[in-house]
Amino acid sequence: MASDTDYDSDGMRDNGNGGSSEGNGRRRRHPMMTWRNNLRALVVDNGRICRIMESGLLDAYGVEVEAVGTGEAAVELIASGETFDLIVIEMFLPFMSGPETARTIREMGITSKILGIAPMYWEKDAQEFLAAGIDEFLEKPFTPELFVPFLREIDNQK
Amino acid sequence: MDGVAQLQKQLVDYTASLFQEGFLDEQFNQLQQLQDESNPDFVVEVVSLFFEDSERLLNELAKALEQKTIDFRKVDAHVHQFKGSSSSIGAQRVQKVCIAFRNYCEEQNIEGCLKCLQQVKHEYSLVKSKLETLFKIEKQLIAAGGSIPT
Repeated sequence: MASDTDYDSDGMRDNGNGGSSEGNGRRRRHPMMTWRNNLRALVVDNGRICRIMESGLLDAYGVEVEAVGTGEAAVELIASGETFDLIVIEMFLPFMSGPETARTIREMGITSKILGIAPMYWEKDAQEFLAAGIDEFLEKPFTPELFVPFLREIDNQK
Repeated sequence: MDGVAQLQKQLVDYTASLFQEGFLDEQFNQLQQLQDESNPDFVVEVVSLFFEDSERLLNELAKALEQKTIDFRKVDAHVHQFKGSSSSIGAQRVQKVCIAFRNYCEEQNIEGCLKCLQQVKHEYSLVKSKLETLFKIEKQLIAAGGSIPT
Protein backbone atom coordinates (compact mmCIF):
# COMPACT_ATOMS: atom_id res chain seq x y z
CA MET A 1 0.00 0.00 0.00
CA ALA A 2 1.21 3.53 -0.64
CA SER A 3 2.63 5.23 2.41
CA ASP A 4 0.81 8.06 4.10
CA THR A 5 3.06 10.70 2.62
CA ASP A 6 3.95 9.11 -0.67
CA TYR A 7 3.30 12.32 -2.56
CA ASP A 8 6.67 13.32 -3.89
CA SER A 9 6.66 10.66 -6.57
CA ASP A 10 4.01 10.32 -9.17
CA GLY A 11 2.05 8.47 -6.52
CA MET A 12 2.53 5.18 -8.36
CA ARG A 13 4.90 2.66 -6.97
CA ASP A 14 6.13 1.65 -10.37
CA ASN A 15 5.81 3.31 -13.72
CA GLY A 16 5.16 1.94 -17.13
CA ASN A 17 2.05 0.63 -18.74
CA GLY A 18 1.21 -1.89 -16.06
CA GLY A 19 1.83 0.23 -13.06
CA SER A 20 0.40 -0.58 -9.71
CA SER A 21 -2.35 0.99 -7.75
CA GLU A 22 -2.33 3.29 -4.80
CA GLY A 23 -4.40 1.91 -2.01
CA ASN A 24 -5.97 4.29 0.41
CA GLY A 25 -3.20 3.95 2.93
CA ARG A 26 -5.07 6.04 5.43
CA ARG A 27 -8.82 5.51 5.85
CA ARG A 28 -10.69 8.33 7.50
CA ARG A 29 -11.87 7.54 10.97
CA HIS A 30 -15.09 9.50 10.58
CA PRO A 31 -16.38 9.33 7.00
CA MET A 32 -18.92 11.96 6.03
CA MET A 33 -21.38 9.28 4.94
CA THR A 34 -21.90 5.64 5.72
CA TRP A 35 -23.44 3.04 3.50
CA ARG A 36 -25.36 -0.19 4.03
CA ASN A 37 -22.84 -2.01 1.89
CA ASN A 38 -19.07 -1.90 1.52
CA LEU A 39 -18.53 0.29 -1.54
CA ARG A 40 -15.35 0.06 -3.61
CA ALA A 41 -14.26 2.51 -6.28
CA LEU A 42 -11.48 2.62 -8.85
CA VAL A 43 -10.16 6.01 -9.94
CA VAL A 44 -8.29 6.13 -13.26
CA ASP A 45 -6.62 9.53 -13.74
CA ASN A 46 -3.11 10.38 -14.93
CA GLY A 47 -3.16 13.81 -13.22
CA ARG A 48 -1.80 13.26 -9.73
CA ILE A 49 -3.54 16.25 -8.12
CA CYS A 50 -6.84 15.14 -9.66
CA ARG A 51 -6.22 11.55 -8.59
CA ILE A 52 -5.41 12.56 -5.01
CA MET A 53 -8.52 14.75 -4.74
CA GLU A 54 -10.85 12.23 -6.40
CA SER A 55 -9.58 9.41 -4.16
CA GLY A 56 -9.54 11.65 -1.10
CA LEU A 57 -13.13 12.78 -1.56
CA LEU A 58 -14.47 9.28 -2.24
CA ASP A 59 -12.61 8.05 0.81
CA ALA A 60 -14.02 10.90 2.89
CA TYR A 61 -17.48 9.74 1.85
CA GLY A 62 -16.92 6.21 3.10
CA VAL A 63 -15.76 4.49 -0.09
CA GLU A 64 -12.79 2.13 -0.29
CA VAL A 65 -10.67 3.51 -3.15
CA GLU A 66 -7.96 2.23 -5.45
CA ALA A 67 -6.34 4.77 -7.79
CA VAL A 68 -4.23 4.23 -10.91
CA GLY A 69 -2.72 6.54 -13.49
CA THR A 70 -3.31 4.68 -16.75
CA GLY A 71 -6.06 2.79 -18.52
CA GLU A 72 -3.69 -0.17 -18.86
CA ALA A 73 -3.23 -0.35 -15.07
CA ALA A 74 -7.00 -0.23 -14.59
CA VAL A 75 -7.57 -3.09 -17.03
CA GLU A 76 -4.80 -5.13 -15.41
CA LEU A 77 -6.29 -4.60 -11.95
CA ILE A 78 -9.74 -5.69 -13.09
CA ALA A 79 -8.29 -8.65 -15.03
CA SER A 80 -6.57 -9.77 -11.82
CA GLY A 81 -10.00 -10.23 -10.26
CA GLU A 82 -10.48 -6.98 -8.37
CA THR A 83 -14.08 -5.83 -8.35
CA PHE A 84 -15.40 -2.33 -8.02
CA ASP A 85 -18.86 -0.86 -7.57
CA LEU A 86 -17.83 2.40 -9.20
CA ILE A 87 -15.15 3.15 -11.79
CA VAL A 88 -14.19 6.76 -12.53
CA ILE A 89 -12.19 7.32 -15.72
CA GLU A 90 -10.54 10.50 -16.99
CA MET A 91 -11.19 11.10 -20.71
CA PHE A 92 -7.72 12.22 -21.74
CA LEU A 93 -5.47 9.40 -20.49
CA PRO A 94 -1.98 9.26 -22.06
CA PHE A 95 -1.76 5.85 -23.77
CA MET A 96 -5.02 3.89 -23.73
CA SER A 97 -7.58 6.73 -23.79
CA GLY A 98 -10.53 7.04 -21.43
CA PRO A 99 -13.01 5.77 -24.04
CA GLU A 100 -10.69 2.86 -24.99
CA THR A 101 -10.35 1.97 -21.31
CA ALA A 102 -14.12 2.05 -20.80
CA ARG A 103 -14.71 -0.05 -23.92
CA THR A 104 -12.15 -2.65 -22.82
CA ILE A 105 -13.63 -2.88 -19.33
CA ARG A 106 -17.13 -3.36 -20.74
CA GLU A 107 -15.82 -6.03 -23.12
CA MET A 108 -14.50 -7.86 -20.06
CA GLY A 109 -18.13 -8.17 -18.95
CA ILE A 110 -17.96 -5.56 -16.18
CA THR A 111 -21.38 -4.07 -15.49
CA SER A 112 -20.31 -1.73 -12.67
CA LYS A 113 -21.25 1.95 -12.83
CA ILE A 114 -18.64 3.79 -14.89
CA LEU A 115 -18.37 7.59 -14.78
CA GLY A 116 -16.32 9.43 -17.37
CA ILE A 117 -14.75 12.73 -16.30
CA ALA A 118 -12.84 15.48 -18.07
CA PRO A 119 -11.52 18.95 -17.18
CA MET A 120 -13.00 20.45 -20.36
CA TYR A 121 -14.68 18.87 -23.32
CA TRP A 122 -16.40 19.35 -26.62
CA GLU A 123 -19.75 17.65 -27.15
CA LYS A 124 -18.17 15.11 -29.51
CA ASP A 125 -15.84 14.00 -26.67
CA ALA A 126 -18.82 13.31 -24.42
CA GLN A 127 -20.59 11.40 -27.20
CA GLU A 128 -17.49 9.28 -27.88
CA PHE A 129 -17.11 8.46 -24.20
CA LEU A 130 -20.78 7.55 -23.77
CA ALA A 131 -20.68 5.38 -26.91
CA ALA A 132 -17.72 3.54 -25.34
CA GLY A 133 -19.94 2.39 -22.49
CA ILE A 134 -19.78 4.85 -19.62
CA ASP A 135 -22.98 5.51 -17.71
CA GLU A 136 -22.54 9.23 -17.24
CA PHE A 137 -20.12 11.95 -18.29
CA LEU A 138 -19.14 14.64 -15.79
CA GLU A 139 -17.03 17.77 -15.93
CA LYS A 140 -14.28 18.08 -13.32
CA PRO A 141 -13.87 18.83 -10.48
CA PHE A 142 -15.28 15.56 -9.22
CA THR A 143 -17.29 16.80 -6.25
CA PRO A 144 -19.44 15.03 -3.64
CA GLU A 145 -22.44 16.86 -5.12
CA LEU A 146 -21.78 14.94 -8.35
CA PHE A 147 -20.85 11.51 -7.02
CA VAL A 148 -23.00 11.02 -3.91
CA PRO A 149 -26.21 10.38 -5.90
CA PHE A 150 -24.41 7.59 -7.80
CA LEU A 151 -23.13 6.06 -4.56
CA ARG A 152 -26.66 6.15 -3.15
CA GLU A 153 -28.01 4.42 -6.24
CA ILE A 154 -25.29 1.75 -6.12
CA ASP A 155 -25.79 1.18 -2.40
CA ASN A 156 -29.56 0.83 -2.81
CA GLN A 157 -29.19 -1.68 -5.63
CA LYS A 158 -26.63 -3.90 -3.91
CA MET B 1 -7.74 41.26 21.17
CA ASP B 2 -4.98 38.87 22.13
CA GLY B 3 -2.37 37.54 19.69
CA VAL B 4 -4.10 34.26 18.86
CA ALA B 5 -7.51 35.86 18.34
CA GLN B 6 -5.93 38.52 16.14
CA LEU B 7 -4.21 35.89 13.97
CA GLN B 8 -7.40 33.88 13.75
CA LYS B 9 -9.28 36.95 12.55
CA GLN B 10 -6.49 37.73 10.08
CA LEU B 11 -6.72 34.17 8.73
CA VAL B 12 -10.51 34.22 8.41
CA ASP B 13 -10.49 37.65 6.74
CA TYR B 14 -7.66 36.76 4.37
CA THR B 15 -9.29 33.49 3.34
CA ALA B 16 -12.60 35.28 2.74
CA SER B 17 -10.85 37.85 0.52
CA LEU B 18 -9.36 35.09 -1.65
CA PHE B 19 -12.86 33.78 -2.31
CA GLN B 20 -14.32 37.25 -2.84
CA GLU B 21 -11.62 38.18 -5.34
CA GLY B 22 -12.19 34.93 -7.23
CA PHE B 23 -8.77 33.41 -6.61
CA LEU B 24 -10.36 30.41 -4.93
CA ASP B 25 -13.69 28.66 -5.31
CA GLU B 26 -15.74 26.11 -3.37
CA GLN B 27 -13.36 23.28 -4.36
CA PHE B 28 -10.77 24.76 -1.99
CA ASN B 29 -13.26 24.15 0.83
CA GLN B 30 -13.46 20.52 -0.29
CA LEU B 31 -9.68 20.33 -0.10
CA GLN B 32 -9.68 21.79 3.40
CA GLN B 33 -12.33 19.30 4.52
CA LEU B 34 -10.00 16.45 3.62
CA GLN B 35 -7.52 17.65 6.25
CA ASP B 36 -8.04 15.96 9.60
CA GLU B 37 -6.06 14.54 12.48
CA SER B 38 -4.85 11.64 10.33
CA ASN B 39 -3.82 14.02 7.51
CA PRO B 40 -2.87 17.23 9.37
CA ASP B 41 -0.83 18.74 6.51
CA PHE B 42 -3.00 17.59 3.63
CA VAL B 43 -3.78 21.05 2.23
CA VAL B 44 -0.15 22.22 2.23
CA GLU B 45 1.01 18.92 0.73
CA VAL B 46 -1.51 18.93 -2.10
CA VAL B 47 -1.00 22.62 -2.87
CA SER B 48 2.79 22.06 -2.94
CA LEU B 49 2.28 19.32 -5.49
CA PHE B 50 0.05 21.69 -7.44
CA PHE B 51 2.89 24.26 -7.48
CA GLU B 52 5.31 21.60 -8.76
CA ASP B 53 2.95 20.36 -11.46
CA SER B 54 2.05 23.89 -12.54
CA GLU B 55 5.66 24.97 -12.94
CA ARG B 56 6.38 21.88 -15.00
CA LEU B 57 3.30 22.49 -17.18
CA LEU B 58 4.17 26.16 -17.71
CA ASN B 59 7.67 25.15 -18.85
CA GLU B 60 6.24 22.52 -21.20
CA LEU B 61 3.75 25.04 -22.61
CA ALA B 62 6.45 27.65 -23.21
CA LYS B 63 8.65 25.05 -24.93
CA ALA B 64 5.78 23.75 -27.08
CA LEU B 65 4.83 27.27 -28.20
CA GLU B 66 8.43 28.15 -29.10
CA GLN B 67 8.67 25.39 -31.70
CA LYS B 68 8.87 26.27 -35.41
CA THR B 69 5.94 23.98 -36.05
CA ILE B 70 3.64 24.04 -33.05
CA ASP B 71 2.05 20.75 -32.05
CA PHE B 72 -1.31 22.10 -30.89
CA ARG B 73 -2.39 18.68 -29.64
CA LYS B 74 0.52 18.73 -27.21
CA VAL B 75 -0.32 22.27 -26.12
CA ASP B 76 -3.96 21.25 -25.72
CA ALA B 77 -3.00 18.24 -23.59
CA HIS B 78 -0.95 20.42 -21.23
CA VAL B 79 -3.77 22.98 -20.97
CA HIS B 80 -6.21 20.18 -20.13
CA GLN B 81 -3.88 18.96 -17.38
CA PHE B 82 -3.55 22.47 -16.00
CA LYS B 83 -7.30 23.00 -16.01
CA GLY B 84 -7.73 19.65 -14.29
CA SER B 85 -5.25 20.31 -11.51
CA SER B 86 -6.31 23.93 -10.94
CA SER B 87 -9.98 22.96 -10.77
CA SER B 88 -9.12 20.16 -8.33
CA ILE B 89 -7.81 22.59 -5.74
CA GLY B 90 -10.17 25.46 -6.52
CA ALA B 91 -7.77 27.85 -8.28
CA GLN B 92 -10.63 29.54 -10.11
CA ARG B 93 -8.87 32.32 -12.04
CA VAL B 94 -6.24 29.91 -13.41
CA GLN B 95 -9.02 27.58 -14.55
CA LYS B 96 -10.80 30.37 -16.41
CA VAL B 97 -7.69 31.24 -18.43
CA CYS B 98 -7.27 27.55 -19.30
CA ILE B 99 -10.73 27.53 -20.87
CA ALA B 100 -9.85 30.47 -23.14
CA PHE B 101 -6.46 28.86 -23.84
CA ARG B 102 -8.09 25.64 -24.98
CA ASN B 103 -10.32 27.57 -27.40
CA TYR B 104 -7.29 29.22 -29.01
CA CYS B 105 -5.61 25.80 -29.31
CA GLU B 106 -8.65 24.46 -31.11
CA GLU B 107 -8.43 27.40 -33.55
CA GLN B 108 -4.64 26.91 -33.83
CA ASN B 109 -4.34 30.61 -33.03
CA ILE B 110 -0.69 31.14 -32.05
CA GLU B 111 -1.10 34.72 -30.94
CA GLY B 112 -4.09 33.81 -28.78
CA CYS B 113 -2.17 30.91 -27.24
CA LEU B 114 0.84 33.09 -26.44
CA LYS B 115 -1.43 35.68 -24.85
CA CYS B 116 -3.09 32.99 -22.75
CA LEU B 117 0.27 31.60 -21.71
CA GLN B 118 1.20 35.01 -20.31
CA GLN B 119 -2.18 35.32 -18.60
CA VAL B 120 -2.05 31.85 -17.05
CA LYS B 121 1.52 32.47 -15.84
CA HIS B 122 0.33 35.70 -14.24
CA GLU B 123 -2.75 34.17 -12.59
CA TYR B 124 -0.72 31.21 -11.37
CA SER B 125 1.93 33.45 -9.78
CA LEU B 126 -0.82 35.49 -8.08
CA VAL B 127 -2.61 32.47 -6.59
CA LYS B 128 0.72 30.94 -5.58
CA SER B 129 1.69 34.04 -3.67
CA LYS B 130 -1.78 34.31 -2.07
CA LEU B 131 -1.71 30.68 -0.92
CA GLU B 132 1.82 31.04 0.42
CA THR B 133 0.65 34.03 2.47
CA LEU B 134 -2.32 32.00 3.73
CA PHE B 135 -0.05 29.18 4.85
CA LYS B 136 2.28 31.67 6.53
CA ILE B 137 -0.57 33.09 8.61
CA GLU B 138 -1.69 29.54 9.53
CA LYS B 139 1.84 28.70 10.63
CA GLN B 140 2.04 31.86 12.76
CA LEU B 141 -1.32 31.02 14.32
CA ILE B 142 -0.22 27.50 15.21
CA ALA B 143 3.11 28.75 16.56
CA ALA B 144 1.20 31.19 18.77
CA GLY B 145 -0.72 28.24 20.23
CA GLY B 146 -3.88 28.73 18.22
CA SER B 147 -5.73 26.34 15.96
CA ILE B 148 -7.05 26.79 12.47
CA PRO B 149 -10.77 27.64 12.56
CA THR B 150 -12.90 25.12 10.64
